[in-house]
Amino acid sequence: MISQVLGAVMLIYLLVAILFLMAELWSSARLQGLGRIVLWLGLGLHTGALTGRWWKSYHLALGHSPTAALAGKLQIMIIQAPLSNFYESLIFFSWCLPALGLLAFRRYFKGYLGAMVALLSTLLLAYASFGVDSQIKPLMPALKSNWLLIHVVTAFLGYAAFALAFGTAILYLFQERRPRPSLPPLPLLDSLIYRTTVLGFLMLTLGIATGAVWAETAWGRYWSWDPKETWSLITWFIYAALLHARHLKGWHGRRIAWLAVLGFMAVLFTYLGVSFLLTGLHSYLT
Amino acid sequence: MSATRIHSKPKSWLWGTLTSIRLTVFLLLILAAVAVIGTVVPQNQPPNQYFSRFGEVWGELLWRGGFTRVYFSPWFLGPISLLAANILACVIHGLPQAVKRTLQPLTVSAALTLPERGRIIWPAGIDPQPLIAATLKRELGHCRQETLPDQEIYLLERGRCRPVGPYLIHVALLLILAGGLIGKFGGVDGQLAIDQGEVAGAFQVAPRVEKPLNFQVRLDKFQVSYYEPGGSPKEFRSDLTFMQDGREVSRATCRVNEPVSFGGLTFYQSSYGAQATGPVRLQVQKGGLNQTVEVAYRRPVDLAGGEGKVWLMQVDGNHQGYGPAVLIASQAGADHPMAFWIFQNLPGLAKSPYHPGLVKQPGVYSFTVESIPFGYYSVFQVKHDPGVGWVYAGFLLLLPGLYLAFFRPVERWALVLAKTPQGTWQGRLLGASPRHREEFAARQERLLTELKRGTQS
Ligand code: HEM
Repeated sequence: MISQVLGAVMLIYLLVAILFLMAELWSSARLQGLGRIVLWLGLGLHTGALTGRWWKSYHLALGHSPTAALAGKLQIMIIQAPLSNFYESLIFFSWCLPALGLLAFRRYFKGYLGAMVALLSTLLLAYASFGVDSQIKPLMPALKSNWLLIHVVTAFLGYAAFALAFGTAILYLFQERRPRPSLPPLPLLDSLIYRTTVLGFLMLTLGIATGAVWAETAWGRYWSWDPKETWSLITWFIYAALLHARHLKGWHGRRIAWLAVLGFMAVLFTYLGVSFLLTGLHSYLT
Repeated sequence: MSATRIHSKPKSWLWGTLTSIRLTVFLLLILAAVAVIGTVVPQNQPPNQYFSRFGEVWGELLWRGGFTRVYFSPWFLGPISLLAANILACVIHGLPQAVKRTLQPLTVSAALTLPERGRIIWPAGIDPQPLIAATLKRELGHCRQETLPDQEIYLLERGRCRPVGPYLIHVALLLILAGGLIGKFGGVDGQLAIDQGEVAGAFQVAPRVEKPLNFQVRLDKFQVSYYEPGGSPKEFRSDLTFMQDGREVSRATCRVNEPVSFGGLTFYQSSYGAQATGPVRLQVQKGGLNQTVEVAYRRPVDLAGGEGKVWLMQVDGNHQGYGPAVLIASQAGADHPMAFWIFQNLPGLAKSPYHPGLVKQPGVYSFTVESIPFGYYSVFQVKHDPGVGWVYAGFLLLLPGLYLAFFRPVERWALVLAKTPQGTWQGRLLGASPRHREEFAARQERLLTELKRGTQS
């Protein structure tokens, strides 16, 4: 049931992208408005699916360790947030994109920018539904922690913000090479790259810090140079360099856009490459 | 005079380098490259692993060059120390000025140099001051008013603390690095393996190096539970008793994610295992022939009929959630030995078609378990890290730092109100915002519309 809803959400996001693109080509405010409405519909369904999965894994866990106490139930509720395996992380990642996009782009969430976000989200959902095991499995002992929720939420909000910065940077590079009136103007794209990068930097910082606190309670080691940790640090360095270059060296435009692209490559490697190519604490794919 | 100049030149070069952002970027790149090596070359493996994986020449190079423990090698420690010096220099260089700027309120003379953003002329007979005060208050909060001989000046500023934000971030980074160092040199870190029922008075801090505890700890019981037979593990749990001079002082349960502290040390559940505490008894069947054998670790026992030998490799108190089981090796003639699990409570499993692989019994004999005397042991990470507090303090300090640096808009506004020769009031709106141009432009538009509203009546 939930996976059918997510399949529908995927198609809805695809429709949103098409509506936004058509609206831009025909300069139609009505299509833009329609795209927005459909987007909100998709996001609502998506939120519902996430909540549904949360509810389901909460009840499965309750079946494994029944409790009547409210505190105990709340505890299970927190640790059963649907963020504990690769499939769930993809679903949450694809939810963060439009949600953060609405927050960071606000009224510019339309046209090519809006279509970019909707398409990225569609791709993630497609990957989740065609290539990844979606079963709800009981949690292994190391994942049973209150830190799981805050660590994964901040980390993926960070990834999503960087994905938005990446998409915007690609639009920037296109617009610079072959200017088109239908694309947003360069200064706007530049400032949106900056805004999303700052958001991502904050979230990634929180994600790394909460992960460290969690590792300290689980293994007695807040940092073990596990490949995922190391790559998240590399990613963090790249964005720190971007922010310094912008504020201290006055870099703008193209160079910042390329750095945002580079940073997102590091994000992708942290998220996927480490799990597929290297081994460590975080290789939840196996 | 020239002497001081000569004296100060090399120092200023060093200082200039230390405070340069170019050095920062250079160091970050080097650190990133070293870290990439650290994730590609497996770390902390025995040397022969590297030789078999990377070949003689490269293996030797990696091993001798420190790349197999790269985060503790000069390749990493050098640049990271330099980065710490770099950050420290930047803080020393810039913090005083940032604090000074934060403490200094916007002065009239500074305000008058802000760029002009719009002009408003009110018709004769209208006193715009109540409107101005109300509008500015609504839009920007509290404002200061200065009265000069022929003009009224309203001064407003937001985000005056912003310049200290980045320095809070940098101080936070220094705290984190300091915490790492303090933990490295002032802490202890080791492992403790105890059998169920055993009392330990020391733990291992390095291969073959033990450190005494100033108390004793007993493992009363270790349990592993599974969500369902054949499923994934649900919980590892060690029940511990801490004792001082043989007297029980406290009891605690240690689980993954729930460490236990005693006597200044913290115990983290890290792994576990089971050991046979006596010979394992097996029933061996071949045709109508029945035999009981006792097997021990690595000591082959000949089977009746002489067609093979068996020995014990491993016991497990709850193998994959199916209860006690033993891993047995058996060898027939000159064949390769084969290993397989036998479950005590599931004797039929060996013949079941659903469990090939590790439970399939090779050869002509069939085995069942009669008894498995075993005891669990549990392994703990034992640690005292006085640097953790510093690291956490750094994490906490990052929050206000990031907020001030990125999310606190900086705006300065001044509204200069003057009487024209015709006796009407004229206002000039001045203002600037180094970042957040978009928000600034939006506010400017709102302010001007609101203020101009008074000119229409
Ligand atoms: C990994 C190391 C570092 C990190 C993560 C880091 C992070 C940051 C952040 C987040 C900001 C605020 C963003 C901004 O205003 O641009 C900042 C600003 C700044 N950083 Fe760093 N920094 C690091 C190292 C350094 C070093 C070594 C220096 C000294 C050369 C330095 C000098 C500055 C300065 C001067 C500012 C700008 C202050 C301002 O905008 O008024 N940073 N840094």
